[in-house]
Amino acid sequence: MNKILLIIQREYLTRVRKKTFIISTILFPLLYLGLIFGSTYIASSTSSVLRVAVIDSSGYFDKGKIERENLKDSSNILSLVNYSADSVKANYKALGYDGFIVVSPESNWEAGLKLSLQTGRTLGIESSSGVQRKLNNIWDGIKNEKLGITDSIKTKLEESTVTLRQQNFNDTTANSGVATGIGYAAGFLIYIILLLYGSQVMMGVMEEKTNRIAEVIVSSVKPFQLMLGKIIGIGLVALTQFFIWVLCMFLIYNFTSSLGNGVTANNVIGGVQAIFTSIDVPLILGCFAFYLLGGFFFYSSLYAAIGSAVNEDMREAQSLSFPITMIVILSIVLLPGVIKDPSSPLAVWGSIIPFSSPIFMMARIPFGVPGTVPWWQLGLSMVSLIIGFIFTTWFAGKIYRTGILMYGKKPTWKEMIKWAIKR
Amino acid sequence: MLHKLHTMPILELQNLRKYFATQKAVDDISLTIEKGQIFGLLGPNGAGKTTLIRMITGIFYPDQGEIIFDGKKFDPLNDIVHIGYMPEERGLYKKMKIGEQALYLAQLKGLSKHDATTKIKEWFTRLDMDSWWNKKVEDLSKGMSQKLQFVTTVLHNPKLIILDEPFSGLDPVNANLIKDEIYNLAKGGATIIFSTHRMEQVEEICDHIALVNKGQKMLDGTVKDIKHNYKENLFRVSFSNKLMAEHLAIHLFQVKEKNEHEVVIKLDPGYTNNDVLEYFIHKGLHIESFNEILPSLNDIFIRLVEDTPAARQFQQITA
Repeated sequence: MNKILLIIQREYLTRVRKKTFIISTILFPLLYLGLIFGSTYIASSTSSVLRVAVIDSSGYFDKGKIERENLKDSSNILSLVNYSADSVKANYKALGYDGFIVVSPESNWEAGLKLSLQTGRTLGIESSSGVQRKLNNIWDGIKNEKLGITDSIKTKLEESTVTLRQQNFNDTTANSGVATGIGYAAGFLIYIILLLYGSQVMMGVMEEKTNRIAEVIVSSVKPFQLMLGKIIGIGLVALTQFFIWVLCMFLIYNFTSSLGNGVTANNVIGGVQAIFTSIDVPLILGCFAFYLLGGFFFYSSLYAAIGSAVNEDMREAQSLSFPITMIVILSIVLLPGVIKDPSSPLAVWGSIIPFSSPIFMMARIPFGVPGTVPWWQLGLSMVSLIIGFIFTTWFAGKIYRTGILMYGKKPTWKEMIKWAIKR
Repeated sequence: MLHKLHTMPILELQNLRKYFATQKAVDDISLTIEKGQIFGLLGPNGAGKTTLIRMITGIFYPDQGEIIFDGKKFDPLNDIVHIGYMPEERGLYKKMKIGEQALYLAQLKGLSKHDATTKIKEWFTRLDMDSWWNKKVEDLSKGMSQKLQFVTTVLHNPKLIILDEPFSGLDPVNANLIKDEIYNLAKGGATIIFSTHRMEQVEEICDHIALVNKGQKMLDGTVKDIKHNYKENLFRVSFSNKLMAEHLAIHLFQVKEKNEHEVVIKLDPGYTNNDVLEYFIHKGLHIESFNEILPSLNDIFIRLVEDTPAARQFQQITA
């Protein structure tokens, strides 16, 4: 046990101190930050305030109403002007406008207005729809006046609506919208981690062969101890890197949302709270940890076995690991089907078989335990995953002990299985 | 026989067998290695030496037979601490710093960090490697990394040290250095198993050898005994006089080579060295030197290992 700890320590420290680790760990959050700032900068520098001159011959629009709306939305400014359309068209730039609108004197509040925003250059959809929104707000006020709809009547109208929510009567707290989102997120996360760090394990295991130190180490510790130490050590590196990323993104998110619009931030916080009340957070976090670890051990053992069998050639490693990678990818490809119907046979059996259970089960759990996922299914799935990774670790250990000492032709899966069976 | 009761052999291999799918790598080998010996394990490539060694170091498990280490049944888990092994296929983590790596390997053998550090410093100083501590292995030349590998093998004061082709790739200076260290370690009580197919190195260093071929043991004894077993009664005699035809009688010996002042003769059965000396003196020759030509281990090795009718015949006679 002591020896395994020594190995874990060595594997962890050598990787964490490498420049590539530090660079890739810092790089990702920096990219994320850059993306956010970059996009907001680009957005803000290209979108300037749209200035529109309004030439109103109908008399419906007055300065007061326009000013009030301008205050509410400052991405465009409407200004009531007394010039003629032709003179504005000729001089709009000098006057400081991007375009103008002519409201004809024959306009009728019952018929509505068909207006045209005349501009010197073609604008994006965003800009003209913003102006349309503003004009409609003003028009609503005008209509209400004409119809005699007071503010109190208006309020009564707005308050009385019909809303519809889906509710699972076996699990009253579930929220299918939230569940879908979390299901996808969790499933996808596990998928990325398995693929990314599974291959790291595979390459890490090749290290002893490439350096030809395998026999030296294996005369001091059992091959199984070496393999386990490497898997756990690399797993911890993965965890560390992942943790730093999540932390950075969390900090960045808080930082940027506090810079941004207060209203938006409140909405987001409100949304997050809604999420947290509709799901069982401890259960999901606990299961996530379990399936992440279980899936990691299940798959990285197989990757370790492959790494030990090949001879330093990455291409050999990739071709042998192809079937394993395909199985993981298959799980992600089938994920939407599982989320669409979390109680289908595909979903149920897929979440019990250890190959796909980390991804499928994590996608199903947010839909409710024991509502969508009965306790027995959860239990069976967990037991099966545990048995699964015990088996793959044992199996990999057998392949590993023969593979790391073997230099020569590339083995096939059939040969590797033979190694596992013999003493 | 009495002296043997005082010290237990460090290693006893009893009827070991190890079979792989395609071949019998080790096919019933028994050996006894006494403490403090420098024991040579010889044989051509593919003879089964490496498989044998891997069983002694616990990397492989025998299909049949027993290994007795220091009087008890070999327990890989615990006995590995007392064994140092430098395999033929050897290397170190290229990108790891030397001091740190030596520490890691020593700790894997069961040394505490403190003891390991002390020992490493001692060895480094002794072999002039002090400046290497923070270097990476990939920065070392081949000879330097061999030296380092040797140090990591013996660092933990093992009772049994197994060196598989330790001199391959070493220049003469470093080879000598390692040779001296081997003698020192043996003097200090360690037992050394030295595996090679280079016979000339063996004759120099080993007291006891075993020759292995195709998974079986062919020879087992002291270098001296084996040579005497295979001697062919050849002698080289040199004279200050010039040799004439009449000096070389036929009934005492056969002449194998001759030049003006020297002759190589093979004694006929029944005659002794003294008979020959008397004869030459009687003939009036002044003898400058008289030496028995013992076969080199290389010659014996080739004779035993070559699968020719002559060799097989030879093997039948000496069996």
